[in-house]
This record gives sequence, C-alpha cells and structure tokens, in this order.
Amino acid sequence: MRQIAIYGKGGIGKSTTTQNTVAALAEAGYRCMIVGCDPKADATRLILHKKSQATVMDLARERGAVEDLELEEVLLDGFKGVKCVESGGPEPGVGCAGRGVITAINFLEENGAYAPDLDFVFYDVLGDVVCGGFAMPIREGKAKEIYIVTSGEMMAIYAANNISRGILKYAQSGGVRLGGLICNSRKVDREYELVSEFAEKLGTQLLHFIPRDNMVQKAELNRMTVVEYAPEHPQADEYRALAKKMAENKNLYIPTPLTMDELEELLAKYGFLD
Amino acid sequence: MPRIIEQDTEKLIEEVLEIYPEKTRKERRKHLISNDPECTTSTCQLKSNVKSRPGVMTSRGCAYAGSKGVVWGPIKDMVHISHGPVGCGQYSWWSRRNYYNGITGINAFGTMHITSDFQENDIVFGGDKKLEQLCREIKEMFPLAKGISIQCECPVGLIGDDIESVARKMTKELGIPVIPVRCEGFRGISQSLGHHIANDSIRDWVLGKVKGILDKETPYDVLILGDYNIGGEAWASRKILEEMGLRVIAQIPGDCTLNELTNMPRPKLILVHCYRSTNYIARYLEENYGIPWMEYNFFGPTKIYESMRKIAKRFDEKIMEQTEKVIEKYKPIMDEVIEKYRPRLEGKKVMLYVGGLRPRHIVGAYEDLGMTVIATGYEFGHRDDYERTYPEMPKNSLIYDDPSHYELEVFAEKLKPDLVGSGIKEKYVYHKMGVPFRQMHSWDYSGPYHGFDGFPVFARDMDMAVNNPSWKLIRRKAK
Amino acid sequence: MKIMDHVELYKSEDYKELFENKKQFECPYSEEEVKKIEEYTKTEEYKEKNFARKALTINPAKACQPLGALLCALGFKDTLPFVQGSQGCVAYFRSHLSRHFKEPVPAVSTSMTEDAAVFGGLSNMIEGLENAYALYKPKMFAISTTCMTEVIGDDLNAFIKKAKQQGVIPKGIPTPYANTPSFTGSHINGYDVMLRGILNYMTTGLKASQTERINIIPGFDTYSGNYREIKRLLRLMDVPYILLADISDSLDAPNYGDYEMYSGGTPLGDVVDSINSTATVALQKYSTIKTGELIKEVWRQPFVNVPYPVGIKNTDLFLDVISQLSGKPIPDEIIEERGRVVDAMIDSYAYIHGKRFALIGDPDLLLGLISFILELGGIPVHIVCTNGDEDFEKEAYALLKTEPLFGSEGKVYIKKDMWHLRSLLFTEPVDLLIGNSYCKALWKDTGIPLIRVGFPIFDRHHMHRYPIIGYAGALNLLTLMVNTVLDELDRQTKDSPSFDVIR
Repeated sequence: MRQIAIYGKGGIGKSTTTQNTVAALAEAGYRCMIVGCDPKADATRLILHKKSQATVMDLARERGAVEDLELEEVLLDGFKGVKCVESGGPEPGVGCAGRGVITAINFLEENGAYAPDLDFVFYDVLGDVVCGGFAMPIREGKAKEIYIVTSGEMMAIYAANNISRGILKYAQSGGVRLGGLICNSRKVDREYELVSEFAEKLGTQLLHFIPRDNMVQKAELNRMTVVEYAPEHPQADEYRALAKKMAENKNLYIPTPLTMDELEELLAKYGFLD
Repeated sequence: MPRIIEQDTEKLIEEVLEIYPEKTRKERRKHLISNDPECTTSTCQLKSNVKSRPGVMTSRGCAYAGSKGVVWGPIKDMVHISHGPVGCGQYSWWSRRNYYNGITGINAFGTMHITSDFQENDIVFGGDKKLEQLCREIKEMFPLAKGISIQCECPVGLIGDDIESVARKMTKELGIPVIPVRCEGFRGISQSLGHHIANDSIRDWVLGKVKGILDKETPYDVLILGDYNIGGEAWASRKILEEMGLRVIAQIPGDCTLNELTNMPRPKLILVHCYRSTNYIARYLEENYGIPWMEYNFFGPTKIYESMRKIAKRFDEKIMEQTEKVIEKYKPIMDEVIEKYRPRLEGKKVMLYVGGLRPRHIVGAYEDLGMTVIATGYEFGHRDDYERTYPEMPKNSLIYDDPSHYELEVFAEKLKPDLVGSGIKEKYVYHKMGVPFRQMHSWDYSGPYHGFDGFPVFARDMDMAVNNPSWKLIRRKAK
Repeated sequence: MKIMDHVELYKSEDYKELFENKKQFECPYSEEEVKKIEEYTKTEEYKEKNFARKALTINPAKACQPLGALLCALGFKDTLPFVQGSQGCVAYFRSHLSRHFKEPVPAVSTSMTEDAAVFGGLSNMIEGLENAYALYKPKMFAISTTCMTEVIGDDLNAFIKKAKQQGVIPKGIPTPYANTPSFTGSHINGYDVMLRGILNYMTTGLKASQTERINIIPGFDTYSGNYREIKRLLRLMDVPYILLADISDSLDAPNYGDYEMYSGGTPLGDVVDSINSTATVALQKYSTIKTGELIKEVWRQPFVNVPYPVGIKNTDLFLDVISQLSGKPIPDEIIEERGRVVDAMIDSYAYIHGKRFALIGDPDLLLGLISFILELGGIPVHIVCTNGDEDFEKEAYALLKTEPLFGSEGKVYIKKDMWHLRSLLFTEPVDLLIGNSYCKALWKDTGIPLIRVGFPIFDRHHMHRYPIIGYAGALNLLTLMVNTVLDELDRQTKDSPSFDVIR
C-alpha cells in the first residue's frame, strides 16, 4: 500500500487533480482510497457524484462522539470502487480543524479502513501545514510520499516552498519524502520554465504539467472527473499520464527549500516583481 | 536569632549544579544564592519569574491553578466553571483549603467541581455553544448562585473560542454576572500569571460593573486582601482587626462573596496579606480610587504586634490605644505558648519551599519558637518578593527560586534540616528520608496558623512534627 | 494549656458572633430562601431538571487520561514518567496521586508554554529529555501527553527520534509513548494506552520460545494491597508470573530513611519477555481494551479477561483461570482461606441482607462490587458510572439479572455524575453509599453512610494498603461494610433500649 499526501495552496485545484488522478489509477485497475483532510470536505465529490458526503466529524458531532460511528457510514464507494472518506470539521473561525484531522484518521485506523488490499491511499490536505493536525497524514506509518500541486503564480510558488519546509522537518525525523511538483497550469507566461526551475532548485522534479482545459470545469459541473465524464478527451489522457508517472515514480527527494531571497530572485527572473 | 549562620552555601550551590547539562546549569545558577540580608544591588540578587527548564521536575503549576485554584475559587457564592477537559477541575477539586460558611450546592459552591468536560467534538467544533447552554443550566441547578466565572483550561485558548462574547450574552440573559477568565494553563510560566489575569478580570468585569450593597462607610473601614482562609485564618485576622476597632468590609478571597468584591473600592485602607497574588488589584485601587494599601504579617507574635501597630498608626489615637490593649490581652497567651514550645524547638533548623508569600512571612513565627530558617525560596516569587525576603533571612542562608526536585533533595541531604516546610509533592520524599515535614500550603489539614488563634496551633504542629517518636523507628536497610 | 484548632475554634461564641457580623457585608439570601432552595433540590421536580442537563457536569467521578498513563508508568522499574505538555498538569497528577497514596510521585513535564503552543513542542521535548536524563537517570522514559500537546498536534514519535539523533539521550534507552488526550475517555483509557505503548515498544520483534509464565495486568488499580495480594496468591499457587505495571513498591515503599526515586516496579527484562508468556490475564476489562488488542492481534498470545476479582465468585473464577492456564491446582491454603471468608460472610450477612446500596466509581470496580453485594444479599439500587459506556451498561444489567431476587431493582446510569446521584439519593433513598472520598459531600447532604472504596481516597488513611480483591479482599470489604452498618446502628439506637453490646 502506497500512501500519498497531496498538499498545495487553497484554490489551486488540488482536489480536482487528486480525484482525476485517482480516477485514472482506478481505471487502470488500482484499488484506491481518498481521505479528504479539509474541513470544506470537497475531496471526494467528483468520485462520489455528490455535493458532499457525510464527514467523520460532522457525524461525530451529531451523534455525540466519534466512537458512536460505524465505518460504513463514512467510508463510501465511488467511481470504479474508489473508497472515499472525508474528515470534515468546523466552520471557518471556530474550533480546531487540525484536531479534526487527527480524530478522523485515528478513527479510520481503529476501524480498519486501511484494508490490506488497497494499492493507494491519497490524502488531500488543506492548503498548508498550518498546525500539527495537518501534518497528521505524513506522520509515522502514514504517507511517506508527498506531491505538491502548484502553478506558475507567485502565491502558489510561495506556498509550495513553505510546504517544502514542513516536509523537510519530517524528512529529517521520519521517512517522509517529496515525490515532486505537479503543475496545474494557470496559463501564466513561461509557466513550465518557471515551475521546472523552481522544482530543480527545490531539489525535486516537476512530475507533470497539466494544461488548462475547460473540460475540467464542465466535468466538475456534472460532478464527475474528466476521466469519467469525457474519457476520450485529451485532458483525460493528461491525468492518465500523471497517474502513470505517479504509479511508476521511484524518485523521492528531501526538499531543499529556497530562502526568501532566493525565491524572490527566481520570481524576479520571471518578471513577477517588476 | 542567629542573623548569620555558618554554612558554606556557595560551595553547596556549585555542588548541586554539577550534574546539570551546561545550558541548564548556567540558567539554574542564577536562581540560587547565599543570602546577604543587606543586599541592594543586582549582584546579590537571584533571578526569578522565568520559565522552568523542561524535564527538571519543577513543583510549579499553571495559570489556571493561579486563577481558579487561588484567586477565584474561594469566592463562595459564585459558580466557577472549569472550562475544558475534566482533569484540571478534578485535581483542583476541594484540594486547596478555603474555609467558608454556607451550604455547599445551595448558596455556596467552593468545594464543588463544575466543568464543561470537553470532548473531542468540543475541541474540533469549538465550545462556545456548549458554554452558553452550561451557563443556563447552572442558573437552573443553582438558582442562588450570585454569579459565574469561566476558568479557561489550555484547549480553550488554543482553539480560539470567544468566551468573552458568551459571557456578555449570558450576563444579559441570566441577570447575574458571567465573568470570563483567560487563565489557560499554557499562559505564563507558573501560577503567578493566573493571579494577575484573575486580578485583571476582577478589575474589568466586577469593579464598576456589578452593583453591590454597603449600608454606610466609616473612618475605620478596612479590607483584607489576599488571605485565602486555608485553615480559617482570614477569620482569625479579622478577629484581631475588629478587636482593634476596625471594620472589615470585605475579606478577599477566603470566605468571600461577590458583594464583598464590589466593596473593594470602599475602604479607607487595604490590608494586603498575600502580596504576590493580589498586588495588581491593590495598585489599581490605589491609582484609580486613591485607596492606600499596606502589607501586614500575622505569623507569630513578633510580627503580629509589629503589624498591628503599623496598621493602627494609619488611624487615630483611639485605635492605637485599643490596639495596645489587644496586644496586652493576648501577650500572656502568646508568651505561654512560647514558654511551652520553645524549649522543645530551640536551635532547630528549618528549610522552607512554598509559593509566593510564606517563604518570607513565616520566618518570624519560627524565630519566635527559637528555630532558624536556613533555606527558603519560592515556587513563583518575583524580584519584589525576593527583595522583601533577603532582610528577613540570616546571612549565608540559602535562597532558591523554583528549585527542581533534585536540588531540593540534595540541599536537604547536605543541610540536614530538622524540619522541612513545603507542599504535598515534596512531603513524602522527606518522610522517606526521615526528615520531619509540615505542608505549608495547606497546613497539613490543620490550622489556623496565623493570628493570635493561629500561633498556638502552629507551635503545636511544629513540635508535633519535630518531636514525634515515630521518626526514631526508622531503621536503615543493610546494604 | 488548651489549644483549639479549626475543629473547635469556629464553633466558639467569639467566632459565631464574627460570622454573624460578617453577613452584613455578604448580602446573603435570607435563611428562608436558602432553606426553600435546599428543600427544592431534594424533589422529584429538581431531579428531572438535573437529569435533563446537557452541557453541565457537576462533581464527576472521573479524571483525565494522562493521570492513568502516569499511574501505569510508575509501575515499571527505573522508569520516569515524562509528560510532553503543560507543567501544571504534571503538578496536578503528582499531587493527586500523592494525596491518595501518601507517597512521593516522581514525574516530569516539558513545561510547554505559549511559544510552544505556537511553534510546537520539539525543543521542549529535546531539552526535557536531556535534563531529565542527566538529573534522574532513568532506564526508561514513559512518555505521554496533555491536552495542549494533543490540540496542537505534536508528533511524539518524530520528536523522540530527533532527540535521540541529537544524542541528548542514549539511542538505546526505551522511550515508549502514548497519546493521551484528556478530552476523550478517562484515566482508565490513559492507563490502557500507556501500557499498550510500553508493551508494544519493548517487545517489537522479540518473540522467542514460550515460557511458563503468565502475565497479569491488574488494570487501573489504586490499591497497593491488591498488587501484593495477586503476588501472594500466585506464589501460593506456585505459578510463575509477570505482573505488568506493578506499583506496589513504587507507590507503597518501605521507609529505610532514604528516598529512592525508583523503588520497585516491573523489571524491564520481564517486560521484554512478557511476549513469550503462556497467556495474559487481565483483571479489568475497561482499562485494558487496547492492550488486549495488542496481545491478541500482534503478540498472538491468549488474552483472558476475568472480572475484577472482588468477592468470592470473581475470585473463584480468577483462580480457576490461573489454574487452567498453569496446570497447577489451587492449594489447600487458599481453599482454607476461601472457607474462612465464606464463613465470615455467613456470620455477617444479616446486616447486609436487604440493605439498599448506591455505588459510584470506575466500570470494572462497579461490576466487582455489584457481584459481591449480590453474594451477600444486598440490593444494588443506583449504579452510577461517569466514565462508563454502553457496553458497561449492558454488562452491569446482565450481572444484576443473575440474582433476580436482589438485582432486579438496580438501575445503571452511565455518563452521570455525583450531582445526579445526589438527586437519586433524595428521591429514592438507600441505606449505604459506596464511592471515593468526594462522596463525603453526599454523605453530608443525605446522611447516608459512606463506605470508601475506589479512587481517590484522600480522607482516610491506608485503605489502599489493604486488598479489596481475592478472598482476603472480600474479608476486608465485608469488615468495612458490616462495621459501617454497625456503627450506624449504634448511632441510631444510642438513645433507645436497643443499644446492644452484642451484635
């Protein structure tokens, strides 16, 4: 079982990328599970064709305690048998979403969600490693492999660098490694070059460059992945390619995050700071 | 009393520090000194009120302990919520003695454990809604509660709950003051910040906000501030002050009511017992209401007489005369106590380690009994506490700040005290070492210890500890 | 010279007057009003409201997880309980346990404060381990957490590894850990996960050939006398054993004029070898759930849960299980002991038969007590378990059904507290109350005699040094119960002709 965590700045298309990749993996015969680790709980809707599924924490709140839940209530089957679960959590501004992630993952472990026949477990994690809770998926015994979804936009690059710093900490104490960057194109000038160079400076690889295509949104409006909604469309092949690379990827890196100066220099080179 | 003692304290300090890793050793060095009673410069002062080093086994507690356990907890006609998980309220339940009159659970709530018993869901989704509901339920369960205080435990601050707005809303809805206290345990470095936070919450949420009743004011109105009534000594002190002709319009916080808190800006003079935990509000009252405050010490006859006269001087001839009469009345009784116990205790060496007041305040009482305090220190004293301590202690005595369990054990081994006065966490270590011990936080469930009624009990108990025959039964194990 | 202390002083005229005079500043409710409310709290109406509480907990009979973890850690030789989190918590745990055991309780914290809350507690962990190792030289650190650490999500395992990488403590020193959030479960769960953590850490990959020893896990048990009793019975049976988390010496150490910080405890070598024992027998169920899973699923070792051996039947069962597992017969000495205790019960039953009981405490203890009360013809009426779950509830009802004559009246209240029990005691009074020291408030309000059993017991000395399990424990409990009834009887009859000298 390979456990993979996907991090990235909020709104970058992390959940869409994850679900499309998982759909492609499932299509290729791999058994996958997605664990959504974002209180917004939108990491599984394209696989499940739903607005949102019942989350561990929401049900726990309803029932009184997480002990009162059954695994079947929160672990649902979607496209090609992909297992889906969402940690859920509070509204913005109250409580502790990070703790919600810890609680939910503990619940999944204790109740046998990590079936031995799974090939992949994907964690789709909120924006940034803001507190210990959001590092839960990359702790001992869980995801050892991380991919960062980014784009050629300045803030996305900043966030990716920041996430790498978090990974570095865990890379030193545990076995956590960065598998590479995934560029979800925003059609910024010289985007491929920028992200490639950034990846190189980070000491990792640009695993795949996903071009921008309206088909993604169209499929999404139908609550489906492109792989399912328009399997013949070239965009579906992009995700298949990404899935294949990920399945075959053996290159795992300890990232070398850039200093603020280095980062600004890089961005300047690509005309961001003019 | 020997004001100078023969012991090589400097050497002892160096010895005890040997074992520490370098960083900690350097830090700890600053917290240990050989006393110079005339100390005025920073070279002969120790460092205090800084973080305890991780892993050393400090005796210190937290801000919650300082607020709920010390300042707010004894306010008897209010319900104090331990807001957060169940433990903090459990361990501080009925454990610090704050004697009060009243019917527990009906019109007084001091020895109860009221908690929101946070569960995982409350952490993840926030606890504000539960807190609102809880306040309503308090009103229903305890209709005679005069107010509610919310004593925050660690998670509340970490998850960012907005207890202040809950407090405002519930104050309005329930018609009794609901007071938020941000005393999460991770704030500050000891109980001390909890005292400060609690003082500030009285300032911000009681004074000028809660209406109280006081029928009249007299020129002899005083206020006892910072006596926790551990074994009822706030009452024993009150008795002295009343006999002197003064009127005690509030006794804070031991056996205190919300109404007495509202009387805080009304006296002519504030009498401060525990300076450490209440000086903040005393200063505020002085600055904003122009009420003077002074410290006093009712431990042992020497200090009692001295303090009584100092207090009387703040009033008129009538009070001063009456004060002398009171001293005259009690002196024979005090002399009798000394006559009985001094021969049994003369020359005995005492080592103290207490919280924020007693390490200096009880020195005089021991000296009245012919005993010498050879070492003392505070869990959470500040610079101003130590400055008040140096002159009270003999030259060359040992003074320590926040000593670790290890340090205390070694000091006791080397200094060979005849009596140790400290807390529950220390007590049984000394029992095992065969060193007589009295708890000086809780009076070992005895008391009162100060005031004229307290001194005989104090003397009896110290004698009991030092001279009990059971110590002689200890037989060392053949090695 | 007569010295009056707090016991007499405040009853004197001087103080009565002082208290009366103080009232003018207190703004109290009138005596009539207070009386009225006091009576109201005894009514059915109040009880209904009391039981409708959703958010408010009043006087709960449970502590938090880290306290249980600490108790467990103290049961291992040369082990320092090490708590990653706020120092105030550790000060509380140490005080709480010291007040019960009347013993020193060594434990350290990493003194995490506001900066650690923001930046995480890694540096606290590293410096804490370094200092604690230098000062206290443990052979094992048993690491647990507080709620602060759990909320910010510190990664214990990574932190400990880092500390070892940096060389602040030797690489080889065992550093088992357990996450013990105080906002789930209670002290019994903290005990469980700490024990599991220790056993798991110490035995990973070490399975060798099976030994004849039997592991015994007492569970969250605060009677040092119980641990000694278990050891005595096994010695009498000539059964080799490993008692896992043996606090009998660490929290009940002899006085030799020296303080030994690490006194007694289960030797670490035995812990390592426990994976090879014939079987593990746990004397409690609700405080050994996770540990049991480890033993069954990872160790693949038989794990037998017997009921907490309070009373005759439960002790019979415990000894039978030991006898079966070890192939050793129960020796005459124990059989004689059983005979004597049963004889004593037959001599005393008349004072217990038909007496109505209210009980409050931990789930396993309650099950044990119910069983014993039923053996004596007592009637368990109110059974309150603040930290009990639905499984416990079912089990307790099933147990009550085994003796319909005495058990049918019993009602089980899970997740309820002492204030709920207070209402029950007023609306449906009983003859005897069993619980910890905090129950003295209930005794004060209701006048129902309190038999102190459980944790904590702060206000009576040395009760934890006497066993309440095994046949010897049954005799101690019987003596306590019957003499409480007889004391009460004397009090009731002291002004009547039935003030008998022979009872």
